[in-house]
Amino acid sequence: MRTGDYKQSYGELVALIDSPPVWLWSAVLLLGLIAAPYLLNSYALSFLMIILITVTGALGLNILTGYTGLISLGHVGFLVTGAYAYAVLVSKYQMPPLVGFLGAGVVPALASLIVGAPSLRLKGLYLAITTLAFSFIINTVILEMRWLTNGARGIQVQRPEIFGISFDGDAAFTYLCLAIAALTLLATLNIRRSRVGRAFVAIRDNDTAARVMGINLHAYKLFAFVTSAFITGIAGALYGIYLSFVSVEGFPFLLSIEALAILIVGGLGSALGAVLGTILIVLLPEATRLVFSLFSAQMDATFTTGAQELKSMLYGLVIILFLRFQPRGLVGAWHDIKRAWVHWPLRY
Amino acid sequence: MQYLIQLLISGLAIGAIYGLIAMGFAVIYKSTGLVNFAQGEMTMITAYIAWTISTTVSGNVFVVAIGAILAAVVLGLVIERLVMRPMLGEPVFATVMVTIGLAVILRSAINFIWDAYPHGLDIGMGRSVVHLGGIGVRTGQLAVIATLLLLLAAIWAFFRYSKVGVAMRAVAADDRTALLMGISATKVHALAWAASSLIAGIGGVFFALSYDLSPAMFQLGLKAFPATILGGLDAVLGSGLGGLLIGITENLAGGYLGSGMKEVAGFAMIIVVLMVRPFGIFGERDIERV
Repeated sequence: MRTGDYKQSYGELVALIDSPPVWLWSAVLLLGLIAAPYLLNSYALSFLMIILITVTGALGLNILTGYTGLISLGHVGFLVTGAYAYAVLVSKYQMPPLVGFLGAGVVPALASLIVGAPSLRLKGLYLAITTLAFSFIINTVILEMRWLTNGARGIQVQRPEIFGISFDGDAAFTYLCLAIAALTLLATLNIRRSRVGRAFVAIRDNDTAARVMGINLHAYKLFAFVTSAFITGIAGALYGIYLSFVSVEGFPFLLSIEALAILIVGGLGSALGAVLGTILIVLLPEATRLVFSLFSAQMDATFTTGAQELKSMLYGLVIILFLRFQPRGLVGAWHDIKRAWVHWPLRY
Repeated sequence: MQYLIQLLISGLAIGAIYGLIAMGFAVIYKSTGLVNFAQGEMTMITAYIAWTISTTVSGNVFVVAIGAILAAVVLGLVIERLVMRPMLGEPVFATVMVTIGLAVILRSAINFIWDAYPHGLDIGMGRSVVHLGGIGVRTGQLAVIATLLLLLAAIWAFFRYSKVGVAMRAVAADDRTALLMGISATKVHALAWAASSLIAGIGGVFFALSYDLSPAMFQLGLKAFPATILGGLDAVLGSGLGGLLIGITENLAGGYLGSGMKEVAGFAMIIVVLMVRPFGIFGERDIERV
């Protein structure tokens, strides 16, 4: 008799959903998310919105850094380009929001070709620093192109109306974010299990070896850049709409670090990891605030005065602790728990 | 012409500060193979400690200098022991990410401990202006250029002639063989972190002397990146010179093209340089085996 789950064909191995319980739980999760806007109060709903938007962005970075192994320290550059593309198209030129979203994907994708092209020759840290340079340059470009972007004054953005459906309310906007996040998740999972995804992973593991096996490094690295920038740009547009105001200050450099932190905490190179990491990182400050307020009112006061600092210190600490003690991230921990659960009381 | 020379001199002065911090990057990279993203923050902490000493203990130059040097060395050693050494043997990406986490922690800690207002470091010197052929230069600016040149010479001699310097180069070249030769890699790493913190800290104190301390000072680290990339991550002397180049470029771009260009001139420059020489101007090309 067979015990455990056996994969007998390649198709089974790469299937998106490999067993009935996974079907069931995915459906439950989806229904829960659809019901959430009616059950949650507006405070909790704002966290859900941020999580959904951040998941989209983190999945975008995951394609580049997680799958292809190209470290980007400048992803906030694509985020801000996407937000501005949407704001300029929709608020300034009164285009329909769908065109705005398309622009929010396409403009960063084009920008990523400019960053991607020189970076084909670069590796590791040199590449990371080039992307960092890009994100600073893009900020200056945006501030200097006043005729298009209003410079430092920024652009107001309204919540969109698509096909006659208004996404003005918080619940409606959450649905929009949910739809985009779910589509992105499906898209990245499908990229991962296709020929393209296998090429990405081969490049990550050893690019010289991948090249010898006939993978066109230039084409696939550029493709990773373009896809990643497209998704990140759309996340940027959503974030701009959420803030209802797009400006360079709304997208600080810290967001790039936060995105990398999400991937590391979740587990590098895994879509599930990106989702889990987002949830942890977004809720971490709130959770800490709750813990602090439990202890005493006085500590709560310290927290409010130095809230921003303590929050960033926590980020740093969480990143370091994860890298030190759980390098495979939350996904790794989840796999360990699952294995222990199935095999208990045996070790394996 | 006057304007050009003025720009060149102030470019050299700020470039020397970038150069010092860039040398800090390069010392760590050369002996551990890591880019230390917390360099700017470490620089900043040393400068803030120097300021605290000058306001609370004594404004005497020697007291402040010795205090700052001690603080920088201790900071480097503590970070190496507590944060970096446990990561020994882990992949480079993970270890570099640790330094990013460290940078975030240090930056917030600075804002938490000290306030968010700008402060001038006043030790009774460095802000007076001397005239060289009709061009006013601050003595602090002259001092930092001189310090950079002196340190460049000293470090060159250190890596070339001293036993410890040769040991550091050996660990950088091949750490296993170095271990077999009886060189303690951990000691070399600790020394590298202390030295790097010290060199960059000197840059930070000079910055506080000529300009002002503020929470935005960590950006010095980001500004020094182009310098060290330009020189080559593994070239200590090249990084120092790269700093001067970046400083001049930045000031010329700011002076003739507009202040927005000043912020990004260095970054634009490294993108161009990396397209031509992906390992920096003075860096060594590494050959990779599959």
